[in-house]
Amino acid sequence: MSSEHDPDAALMMRVKEGDMAAFTELVDKYKQPVMNLVYRMLRDVTEAEDVAQNVFVQVHRSAYRYQISSKFSTWLFTIARNLSLNEIRRRSRHPADSMEAASSEQDQPWHQYQDMKATPPPDKLLYGELEQKIEDALSELPENQRIALLLCRQEELSYEEMANVLGCSLSAVKSLIHRGRETLKQKLKPYLQTGVWHDPQ
Amino acid sequence: MNDQEKDQLRELNWRRPLNPEEQAQLQVWLEADSEKRADWEVEARLTEGLSQLTDAPLASNFTARVLKAIEREEAADARRSRRARVAWWLRWLPRAAFAALIGTGGFFAAQQLYLARVRADIRTSVEVVSSVPSMPGPEILEDFDAIRALSSSEADEKLLTLLQ
Repeated sequence: MSSEHDPDAALMMRVKEGDMAAFTELVDKYKQPVMNLVYRMLRDVTEAEDVAQNVFVQVHRSAYRYQISSKFSTWLFTIARNLSLNEIRRRSRHPADSMEAASSEQDQPWHQYQDMKATPPPDKLLYGELEQKIEDALSELPENQRIALLLCRQEELSYEEMANVLGCSLSAVKSLIHRGRETLKQKLKPYLQTGVWHDPQ
Repeated sequence: MNDQEKDQLRELNWRRPLNPEEQAQLQVWLEADSEKRADWEVEARLTEGLSQLTDAPLASNFTARVLKAIEREEAADARRSRRARVAWWLRWLPRAAFAALIGTGGFFAAQQLYLARVRADIRTSVEVVSSVPSMPGPEILEDFDAIRALSSSEADEKLLTLLQ
C-alpha cells in the first residue's frame, strides 16, 4: 500500500519527518472514533480520555518506525485496542487503583457534565433509555466480541483490516461479530421486537 | 439469491443499514422465504441501534492536551538522556582518571628504569676505563729508534763494513 492510496499514511510520513501540523490533522480526524472505541471498552470517560490521549502519544512516539504496510487506521486502532486491553488488565490487577483517583482535581477542568436543569422531551428520554440498554448489553459482551462489534462501526475498516487489528483470521472476526450480535439480540429482544429504534432528532 | 449473496448481504447489514438497492434484493429473497423476515427485521433494527449510538463525550481541548503531553514527554526524554550522559561520565570519568594515572605512572616508571639502566651502563664503562693501568710518559720513547733497530732481524750492513 502506498501513501497515494491512504492519505492518512501520507500525513503519517510527514509526522515521521517532524511535521506537527500533520499530526494535529490526524488527531482531529481520529480523536472521536478512537474515543468511542476506548470509552466503550472502559466505560469511564476520564480513563477513556487518558487512554485515548496515550494512543495518540504512542502514535507520535512510534512515528519514526512507521511503515506504509497497511492502512494508518488499522495501525491506530491496533494501538487503541492494545492500550484499552492493558488498562482493563491493569484494573483487574489493581481494582482500587483507578486512573481517575491518580489524577488531580486540576487535571479535570475539561470534563463535560450533563446539564441536569434541561428537561429532555419524552422521545429523547425513550431513545436515551434504549441507547443505554444497548450500551449496557455491549459492555457485558466479552472483550474481543465487543471490540469486533465496535470496529464494525468504523466504515473505513474492511473485515480484513479488522482481522489485523484483532490479530485473528477473517473467519474468526466474522464469527466474533456473529456471536456478539446474537448475544445482543437475545439481551435486547423486547426492544428489537417493538422496533422503537428511531432517533428523535 | 444464493447463500453466498445472502451472507454478503448479512455482512453488509452488520456494518450499516442496507441501501435501497440492497433492500430490494433482500425483499425479493424474503418474499420467497418469509420465515426469515422476522430475523432480518431484528438484525436490521440492531444495526440501526448500534449505528445510532451517540459519540462518547470528548473534551474540546483534547488535541491541545495530546500536543501538550507530547511536549512533556519530549522534555522528559531530553532530561533522561541528559541524565544518562552525566551518569555515563560519572561512571567512566573516575575509571578513565585511574587508568590515566596508572598509565602515566607506568610511563615514568619505565623511563626511570631505562635511565637507571643507562646510568649503570655508563658506570660500568667508566669502571672498565679506570681499571686500565696508566700510560707511560714520553721520555720512555727517547731511545725508541735504537731499540727498534735492535729488534730488527736484518744484518747491520754498515756495522759489518766497519768491523771488516
